[in-house]
Amino acid sequence: MTSTRSATIFAFALLAPALIYISIIVAYPLFDTVVLSFTNAQLRPTYDWVGWANYQRIFGAGNFTEIIIRTLVWTFFSVSIKMIIGMCGAVLLNAAIPGQTVFRILTMPPWIVPMAIGIYMWAWMYNGNFGMISGLLQNFGITNGPVAWLAYGHTAFWATIVTDVWIGVPMVTIYFLAAMQSIPKDLHEAAWTDGAGRFYRFRRITLPLMLPAIITMSLLSLIATFNSFDIIYILTNGGPSGQTTTMIIDTYKTAMGSRKYGEGAARAVVICIFVSIFCLVYFRAVRRLGQGEAK
Amino acid sequence: MSQLSLKHLEKSFNDARIIKGIDLEVSEGEFVVFVGPSGCGKSTLLRMIAGLEDVSEGEIAISGKVVNDLPPVQRGIAMVFQSYALYPHMSVYENIAFPLRVEKLPQPEVDKRVGAAAKVLQLESRLQHRPGQLSGGQRQRVAIGRAIVRQPKIFLFDEPLSNLDAALRSEMRIELMELHKRLGSTMIYVTHDQVEAMTMADKIVVLDAGTIAQVGSPLDLYHRPDNIFVAGFIGSPKMNFINGRVRAANGSTVVVDLGQLGIIELPRTSTSVAGQDVTLGIRPEHLKLGAGQFTLTITPNIVEQLGIHSITYATLPGGEAFTGLFEGNPDLVDGKPIELSFPIASAHLFDSKGLAVY
Repeated sequence: MTSTRSATIFAFALLAPALIYISIIVAYPLFDTVVLSFTNAQLRPTYDWVGWANYQRIFGAGNFTEIIIRTLVWTFFSVSIKMIIGMCGAVLLNAAIPGQTVFRILTMPPWIVPMAIGIYMWAWMYNGNFGMISGLLQNFGITNGPVAWLAYGHTAFWATIVTDVWIGVPMVTIYFLAAMQSIPKDLHEAAWTDGAGRFYRFRRITLPLMLPAIITMSLLSLIATFNSFDIIYILTNGGPSGQTTTMIIDTYKTAMGSRKYGEGAARAVVICIFVSIFCLVYFRAVRRLGQGEAK
Repeated sequence: MSQLSLKHLEKSFNDARIIKGIDLEVSEGEFVVFVGPSGCGKSTLLRMIAGLEDVSEGEIAISGKVVNDLPPVQRGIAMVFQSYALYPHMSVYENIAFPLRVEKLPQPEVDKRVGAAAKVLQLESRLQHRPGQLSGGQRQRVAIGRAIVRQPKIFLFDEPLSNLDAALRSEMRIELMELHKRLGSTMIYVTHDQVEAMTMADKIVVLDAGTIAQVGSPLDLYHRPDNIFVAGFIGSPKMNFINGRVRAANGSTVVVDLGQLGIIELPRTSTSVAGQDVTLGIRPEHLKLGAGQFTLTITPNIVEQLGIHSITYATLPGGEAFTGLFEGNPDLVDGKPIELSFPIASAHLFDSKGLAVY
């Protein structure tokens, strides 16, 4: 009994620093945000309790639903493309090709370059007058004149996805490569001995054995991409005319741009609910994968 | 006609020559064991036959057809890997059926062949399980099942029992021998365990540093080793070697001076060993307690009493390790000198190059 109690106390003592830290920087702000979302807090030093008014306003009028759908579409395409390119990259990097190490190193820069610098580089590449992309297209005669990629809604939407994919692909590739290399070589040799070609082996051995890695990476990438702020903020600031405004940009603009802290908090709470659902799915998937492995 | 024929086979990885010109003929239905110490090239040789390693030089022919450039599946072989190489995400059924799925055989045929293999290997009740739910022996059987369903001309086994515990290993050894009898197929089996080689093989191929040290039946290798390497490798405990010098070789006998142990006269016709440094070989099990044709006295450092027999370990005056194996439990004590002898006929003699002198 005493030893159990002292063990419990010891465990809490070890956990205490982390718990205090999390309480201060995560739990308290989260709680405060929820409280704030039920007030009309603005720049004034005082504010009043307004109940569900903020939620009624954001869901009742305006374009919040549109922003949610846009965010989901943006996230879906960005994550899907990252997964597909990451898988292709991992397959190529895993193949016994000359100069393999060089190629492996070459995948890293998007990840290594400070994100803001990378994004500014893309901003310049997208520029209509001086940008490399527009210039190349004109040189090859594909477009007649300059194309300012970030000036039109549909091109800006895809341009931000392309940049997000560029930044995100190295991590996915390396993660998939590691998962691929953890598959014992014997399995491929056994299948090759039995006459299975490359594609057949990929479909029946590599992919199924990588499923845990694919699910984990997809869900982690989903959460990170859903919350992606800096790429859109630097490239378009949510423009033109809100065509690249995702939930996180919208929340920032409401709270920090319009100084409507209460309403911004309500929008943040909605993001939090979405991310919580993704996390729940992630944890359930991890648990199920764990049970599958134990079988 | 031999079923498998290797001619001047060579394999190099960059500058390192791993297989150095191997010639070998294997007849249909033979159980051939490649045996040798780690790094002797036995697994590489098997992988070359399987088609998992390219051939640097020479020729591999199966049923008279050169297969050097053919992929494994077209060679008519099936391989069982050391790690079993089972697909962890597939059921036992799907693991065994894998080669048939690749061939796109119709489902009834797949059912029939998997069912037949499962029956032979007593896996019928396990077909829906995953490999992770099976014991080591059962996993091994699944791996064998996957090889059987392909109905190959030649089975290749790469140290298939090395991951099993001792009891299971001897059980599986018997199962494999029964399987060989039942199927009558040619089997090539790689092991570093000379007991496996001696008990299972029709023909043993002893490999040493990428070359064949000797090919022969297990008892041939035991009784008439061609060289000191085979003599030392085959037999457990291993053969004792005593350094000596030939005093005289007259065409009918060779007189060897063994230093402090005395002089021994062996019936040998060779005269070329005259004056050479030679090695005398005597198997521990050929030693007897008490005086005999050639008698020597040793002081064992360690005595192991195993019930069925006793083993003594000693060091000879010349510094050579000397092991004795005696039936039953004679009264042997560490540090107490004992008198031993062996019949002259059981002694082996190796010249200065390590080749047997007969």
